[in-house]
Amino acid sequence: MVEGHASRRLHSALHALQMLIAAFAFLGPVLFMLSSGFKPSDLVTALPPVMVFRPTLENYAAVMAAVPFLRFTMNSIVIAGGATLLGMTLAVPAAFAVSWNRMAWPAVLMLMTRMAPGGLFLLPWFVMFSSIDAIGDYWVLIVTHAAITLPLALWTMLPFFDALPRSLVEAAMIDGCSDLALLRLVVLPLVTPGLAVSVVLCFVFAWNYFLFSLVLSDIGTRTLIVAAFNFVGEGATDWGALMAAATLIAAPPVVLAFLAQRHLISGLTSGAVKG
Amino acid sequence: MLVPALVFLALMVLYPFADALWLSAQHFHFGSESRFAGLANYLALTRDAQFWAGLRVTLALYLLSLVSQLVIGMWLALLVHRSKRLRWLARTLLVSPFVMPPVVVGLMWLIILDPTLGLANWLLSTAGLPPALWLASPQWVIPTIALIDTWQWAPFVALILLAGMQALDGDIYEAAAIDGARGVALFRRITLPMLGPSLVAAAMLRSVDLLRFFDIIYVTTQGGPGNASQTLNIYAYKQGFVFFDIGYACALMVTLTAIVLGVSGAMMRLRRATAW
Amino acid sequence: MRPIFALAIALLMAPVPIRAQGFDWQAHKGETIDFLTENHPWSNAVVTRLADFTKLTGITVRVDSLQEAQMRQRAATLLQSKSSSFDAFMSLKSFEGTLYASAGWYADIGAMAADTKLTDPGYNLIDFGAGLRAGETFNGKLDGIPLNIEGPIVYYRKDIFEKCNIAPPTTLDALRAAAATIKACDTSIIPFAARGLKIAVPYVLSNVIHNMGGDYFASGKPALCGGVGEKAIDWYAGMLKDFGPPGSVNNSFLQLRELYGQGRVAMIFESSNEFGEIMKFAHRADDTQVMLLPPGPGGSHPTIIGWGLSINAFSKKQDAAWLFVQWATSKAMDGELALAGIAPPRASVAISPDYQKFLAASPLRQVWAALLDNMGRTGNPEVGPPVTRQPQAREIIGDAVDQVLLGTASAHDAACGADQAITAMLNAGN
Repeated sequence: MVEGHASRRLHSALHALQMLIAAFAFLGPVLFMLSSGFKPSDLVTALPPVMVFRPTLENYAAVMAAVPFLRFTMNSIVIAGGATLLGMTLAVPAAFAVSWNRMAWPAVLMLMTRMAPGGLFLLPWFVMFSSIDAIGDYWVLIVTHAAITLPLALWTMLPFFDALPRSLVEAAMIDGCSDLALLRLVVLPLVTPGLAVSVVLCFVFAWNYFLFSLVLSDIGTRTLIVAAFNFVGEGATDWGALMAAATLIAAPPVVLAFLAQRHLISGLTSGAVKG
Repeated sequence: MLVPALVFLALMVLYPFADALWLSAQHFHFGSESRFAGLANYLALTRDAQFWAGLRVTLALYLLSLVSQLVIGMWLALLVHRSKRLRWLARTLLVSPFVMPPVVVGLMWLIILDPTLGLANWLLSTAGLPPALWLASPQWVIPTIALIDTWQWAPFVALILLAGMQALDGDIYEAAAIDGARGVALFRRITLPMLGPSLVAAAMLRSVDLLRFFDIIYVTTQGGPGNASQTLNIYAYKQGFVFFDIGYACALMVTLTAIVLGVSGAMMRLRRATAW
Repeated sequence: MRPIFALAIALLMAPVPIRAQGFDWQAHKGETIDFLTENHPWSNAVVTRLADFTKLTGITVRVDSLQEAQMRQRAATLLQSKSSSFDAFMSLKSFEGTLYASAGWYADIGAMAADTKLTDPGYNLIDFGAGLRAGETFNGKLDGIPLNIEGPIVYYRKDIFEKCNIAPPTTLDALRAAAATIKACDTSIIPFAARGLKIAVPYVLSNVIHNMGGDYFASGKPALCGGVGEKAIDWYAGMLKDFGPPGSVNNSFLQLRELYGQGRVAMIFESSNEFGEIMKFAHRADDTQVMLLPPGPGGSHPTIIGWGLSINAFSKKQDAAWLFVQWATSKAMDGELALAGIAPPRASVAISPDYQKFLAASPLRQVWAALLDNMGRTGNPEVGPPVTRQPQAREIIGDAVDQVLLGTASAHDAACGADQAITAMLNAGN
């Protein structure tokens, strides 16, 4: 029952067609956004869509001039990076402990923190931090975003720790390794793919989260995501600048994910989040 | 090892949650003093037509999005699993949408789906179809938002399913092929059941986020047209941060949390039933 | 030494000022203040001139500019927690004035303005129209300085009107008839467009209600049901339903500006603020004309609002902030901004030769300025129902309009439902 050549060719043609459709559907809008950023504003909403145009940097210039873009980007990096660091530092040992001792409740508890709407924490946090007059401080934003990264990091690392050969770790324990040394010297080197995936996911999700920054940041610490809203409002205009800003805001996580895509994909698919 | 994480949790999560519970038992509106309300907010909630409408919207959006994402995610996973060439395209495809900030995704689609100025209706017109209202239609706004969310997250689901596929033993496929199973039958009898656990895992992960649907709606319709896309999360946010009725907003959010917990609990049970 | 001698010597040694100690722009040199504002043509223009302020006073200004909804949310949450993290801020009294004033969140600007040590002698508070100042006053206290005046006006394509042989409508019925004529005459253009986004609707609907001779409340109670308000909702929603673009329900000034600017709509009923932006689109400067909403049975009562510059009651730098407010709302600044297209709230600027010359350069702008002048004198500042919980009340009203627009309720049911909802809100209020 060998498939004939013709049937195989039909299959691969169908496959290629489907890939094309998928590419158009999933990458098309992104290309639209990218190209719109380089069009003069009135062309962005012009129909039929202008495919051939002289690209201009005026939108990007307008965006950079209108908002302190560099500062916002730095803020986003500091906050997303800080939250990732904090989240990972807390989550990795915890995940190991949970996995090793086969405990279920801490992981479930973590998952529960993801179940509440962000707004639920926001108001008590606001009251908490405003009473010590810390609203808008970097550390407040880092700590609040760590509430996002911590559960994420834990849940991403768990399967990797679960997959470790227990005998190896037991051997190191018998040799008298302290817990932290055990972690650092023996366990972590074995789960570096997991660490890579965790770091990337934590950074991306922290970068993309806007609710907390919306309410808790001030001028000095505002993130890029919140700045997106500034382009929508009286006095500010164009869709072109909006798309340029959107591109700039989406770029870091997308580029990061793109660079790490091999690790990300192999990490996620090597049973990171399997059933 | 576990302690630092738990301490953080207690401070940053459990305490605020308890505080929110306390606030939900107050009549607290910005600009005035708070009064104890007991269960008054929760009672008001049950009599609030917008709460029930919001619940309906949340569930409808949830189910529609979840099913779409699982189906499209499965399709994508199968596609990528079988592509030996075009690896790079497949990878870019899978990774790009869900790492984009929801704010950006919303803005992007807002322009594409604009009834008068957008690309989508223009595409429809070139295909000879009538223009659609998309986000401006009370009937179609929920499917449209489900479409946007599926666009963003189906690739993520595909990645999870790919994990399951790669873990499937190659021998099983060979044995099945010898037995004459092929194509759709192969998919239905072998692939799908063995991917059960992965599907449930993906469903669980997405459920937690879908039930709390907020970002895309906030950026695009803010709950409109009318209240047609007002999920519970959006409604709670509006009560808290636009109307400044903090007590009621907390009651809404606590209720939403309970709902998410309930659904997650049910899924966990489902997961245990399908795991081997 | 006897104390009296010590005192005498001290007095002799003290430097005697040539004139009495008075106002000094440099009184707070070296300080920094925070200004919370929204993306408004006024603030955008002022922010570009901040260097002048720093030169004049030695005070540095940090600007936090957000979109209106976010700015309001930020201000309210910070004020609620009695924060001092911003000093001066833009506030829309018709929206949040009652709430903020009753909560004591505004600093008493009236008192500061009356203090000669704190106020520039040339400031001239009464240069601002009485009506505008009244809009900034709550419980006898002046809580802000008017920044601008704005209100909904009708922008229309005079070329389309010519083509379809329509005279500018002089009544609400004629406006509807004009839309119908355009619909029959030119199928390539949408006859009419206006706001449908719930919370934004009352801004324009109020004008319709008042022109029809009605009001939101009567004898202190909601009175849309069975009254003029109901007819206004019917008229407004009907216009959008029959002659408006698809998706009106989601539209606010951004979409309307874009639609009209791109030439897709023949008439829009939108804020006078949009004038500058609309003129930037190709051709619109030549083919646009502006007018007030035509009068109805109740006459002509255009809605007029104005943003105000206020000072945070919990600010620790109120005097320095007041210096900023004075500079930003001074006659010189208003004059400059008027030439940049911001409708001046100061009477002296409105009649100044520079401004008149600026207007004369563009006949359309002259008409626009004349409209605003008219609105300033005859306008009604009531946008939503007279309640403290403005956001909620405005959503209820907008929701009623949307229900009729979407066909889910008749105007009567929607209006009565709105009245009930507002009553319930007032009863539940704390």
